[in-house]
Amino acid sequence: MSAFAKTIDTWKRERGPLRIISASGQLGYGIPEPAFRAGLARRPHLIGADMGSVDPGPYYLGAGKLATARRSSKRDLSLAVIGAVRNGIPLIIGTAGTGGGDPHLAETVEIIREIARENGLNFRLATINAEMPRDVIKAAVRAGKTVPIGPIEPLTEATIDGAARIVGQMGMEAFQRAIDLEPDIIIAGRACDTAIYATLPQRLGFDVGTALQMAKIIECASLCCEGGGRDTMLGTLEGNSFVLESMNPARRATPMSVAAHSLYEQADPLSVAEPEGTLYLSDAKYEAVDDRRVRVSGGRWEPAKQFTVKIEGATHLGARAVMVAGSTDPVFIAKAPEIAASVEAMIRELVPPNPKRPYELFFRFYGLGVVGGQPVTTIPEEVGVLVECIGETEEEARAVVATAKQYLLHAPFPGRISTAGNLGFPFTPPEMTAGDAYRFSIYHIMEVDDLAPLFPVSIETIGG
Amino acid sequence: MKLIDAARVIRSKNAGPTQVTCDLMFDTRELYERALAAPSLKAAVIAQRFNVAEAEIIPYPAANAIKIVIPRRIIAGSPGDTDVYGAQQHRPLLDIEI
Repeated sequence: MSAFAKTIDTWKRERGPLRIISASGQLGYGIPEPAFRAGLARRPHLIGADMGSVDPGPYYLGAGKLATARRSSKRDLSLAVIGAVRNGIPLIIGTAGTGGGDPHLAETVEIIREIARENGLNFRLATINAEMPRDVIKAAVRAGKTVPIGPIEPLTEATIDGAARIVGQMGMEAFQRAIDLEPDIIIAGRACDTAIYATLPQRLGFDVGTALQMAKIIECASLCCEGGGRDTMLGTLEGNSFVLESMNPARRATPMSVAAHSLYEQADPLSVAEPEGTLYLSDAKYEAVDDRRVRVSGGRWEPAKQFTVKIEGATHLGARAVMVAGSTDPVFIAKAPEIAASVEAMIRELVPPNPKRPYELFFRFYGLGVVGGQPVTTIPEEVGVLVECIGETEEEARAVVATAKQYLLHAPFPGRISTAGNLGFPFTPPEMTAGDAYRFSIYHIMEVDDLAPLFPVSIETIGG
Repeated sequence: MKLIDAARVIRSKNAGPTQVTCDLMFDTRELYERALAAPSLKAAVIAQRFNVAEAEIIPYPAANAIKIVIPRRIIAGSPGDTDVYGAQQHRPLLDIEI
């Protein structure tokens, strides 16, 4: 009997509280092991882990690459998979491999196979893909059923054609279909991190609002505690409330720290949109159980009249090259933006842009108001210099940056006293290619009538 | 009183790649209410301060906190961006008088 089937069976016989642990905030950045082991010792009914998001930017989605180092991903996956299989605990991993596209999912599954081989593990693995069929999105665009989230261009068929990869965020519906296949482990492409934790409770008949409210908090592991943290978090569902407890004894969840967590990375702290409905948190209650555990209730679920899927897409722009340097010269620093403009004019003469696809060139003087985009009130004694080019090819981008390096180093300007060079370079070569460049071109809500065809589920036996 | 002296936490972070959200957290209900009532923390003033078309101010009394949502001028990670995670966009808030 699979871990999911067995757990569901056992719980239905025994009833009682449902214990769920979240291994870590994001798999691949290091699961703190003592807290994870403490979590396993509490005999949870489910281990969940999220493995990605849009946060690290469009590159990973577009390129199909993991943001985390393979060895770190393997270490964390080993802890989760071995911990789950040896103890017969169901495991759900969402947004595999940072981006949750097909290559991310495939690489993560490959690592899991390797772990199974090396540790002699046998289990049934369900996978759920999340790359969106383009004809479905195009039909939605034609029917006026896509809406931008925030300031991004309305979706067009040309944008869909031009995207390197498009994923959709699956919800509980997809995970329910995966549980139907009786797996031990479910690994999903792009997924709502809430669905990882709320699907099993939904299956067992728990109140969906309460389950999602718990999911929303524990998906960030111990981040809801005072001082934050990545340590494994235990959520215990008991009817229409749940108790939160960090598996690191040093981390304390307080009513205030848990309430404040609802703000994190959310445009709206009082509602959370899922494909199948909306979670409302306006009646949330937070009560201290003791000095490090909190009881939470009040999450209210409203099923949607119309299913929606959040879709994310990245478009390939070309290749990036960069150069890093610094300057301590007060005259150069005071005039840096003008000097950059004159150097840029020179570069565009020496490395003529392709008129059909001109390269983009950026000069950034750190210390002069780059990061916040606000002008600084005092001129610093030292500035960092970053030159970046996004060109059609790596060769073009590198040529532009190499030229920029030479001309910025020796640029003449009125009042120049440091006539041997304007820049200090930390290493050589100062210009570096930085791989492919992407941008988010799709971040939209798409109305759909049927979720299942978008997120196909398959099952395989690993080992044995 | 400046916001930096009144709030325990002043932070910014992406809420998806198209928006940045700033959270102001206060230790007491009094400071929270004082900030919420301040003309300098009205949506139009904040939008101007961040040089964006509009801003949204969301009171969150459960944590003595105020959320500010602003559109990103450049989508996270697009050419010209300088803060992919949006984690360093809080600075214009620090010296606001409440």
